[in-house]
Amino acid sequence: MDDEAPGVEAWKKQTSAFDRVRSVAGTVSGPQPVSYIATEAHVAENTARSHLERLVEMNVLMKRDIGGAAMYEPDPLHTRVQTLRDLLDEYDHDGLLQLKAELQEQVETWAREYGVESPEALRRRAAESADAAETREIRETANDWALLLYRLDIVEQAIENYTAYSRDSPAPAG
Amino acid sequence: MSGDDSSYDAAEASHRALRGIQRELERHPTISTVRGFPSGEYTQVGAEVAIDRLDTDVTEGTLTVRWFAGGTSDDRPTFSFHYSGENGDFGWHHEPNPHVDAWGHFQERVNPAASYDYEPYTFSSVNPTRVVWEVMSVLVSRLQSE
Repeated sequence: MDDEAPGVEAWKKQTSAFDRVRSVAGTVSGPQPVSYIATEAHVAENTARSHLERLVEMNVLMKRDIGGAAMYEPDPLHTRVQTLRDLLDEYDHDGLLQLKAELQEQVETWAREYGVESPEALRRRAAESADAAETREIRETANDWALLLYRLDIVEQAIENYTAYSRDSPAPAG
Repeated sequence: MSGDDSSYDAAEASHRALRGIQRELERHPTISTVRGFPSGEYTQVGAEVAIDRLDTDVTEGTLTVRWFAGGTSDDRPTFSFHYSGENGDFGWHHEPNPHVDAWGHFQERVNPAASYDYEPYTFSSVNPTRVVWEVMSVLVSRLQSE
């Protein structure tokens, strides 16, 4: 591991080994072995393994056997529940309904503006554009659109389950 | 390498990365406030740089972060950490750009009417957490040299 890389010294000063293992393992895109997490988190492999096992017990990560090797990846349910909780803490039922409407309106605006029905179709449009600046703009919009659909799905889950999930839940009218 | 893509969702992975980036920025000593941006949508992360904690004449600045995981879990992510303030418009990006060969690059323009200048930049890692601390290190060095 390269302790001389920019920012590593400050990162190690500001965080514990557990913080770093959790942060790295919690943001990987797919299953990774202990060696990868240890290198990226700047901790010894034994330390990483111990923290990873604890994070599996906490349901932050999932452990899988792939080709005979233990691999760790984020539990998508954990991220979803965190986002759900943040939404319920920030918005009441009416606020969630308004947020849903705003997100849907944004999606409809992009669909109308670009004449496509999905971020995947928009991404194909980006690949066809000959203008570099336009390609980048379209690609960014496609990414934003995909992220918005993910968030919209969780907002709808929050609305459907508001009474059950809300901390102080007077039942919504209607 | 991660291999099995049966449960991979690029939007979910990207959202998770943005949450991780927000948490790391909140930990950084020279960031004062961090928020999902735009409000309600959370497709980017915005952070106010705590200029008063730096040895610099710069008075204000904002860092805007975009991150999108690849189409498969093995694909490279595209991301940008872009700073804008009264005396600067520059950032570290990792994405295709016809003005520079490498995905990793630094871009800067001297004023809003000018074109960006580009130069290759090699990130030591493309893990979201690591990139936050790397970019903050080079950003702080740059602001303190102003």
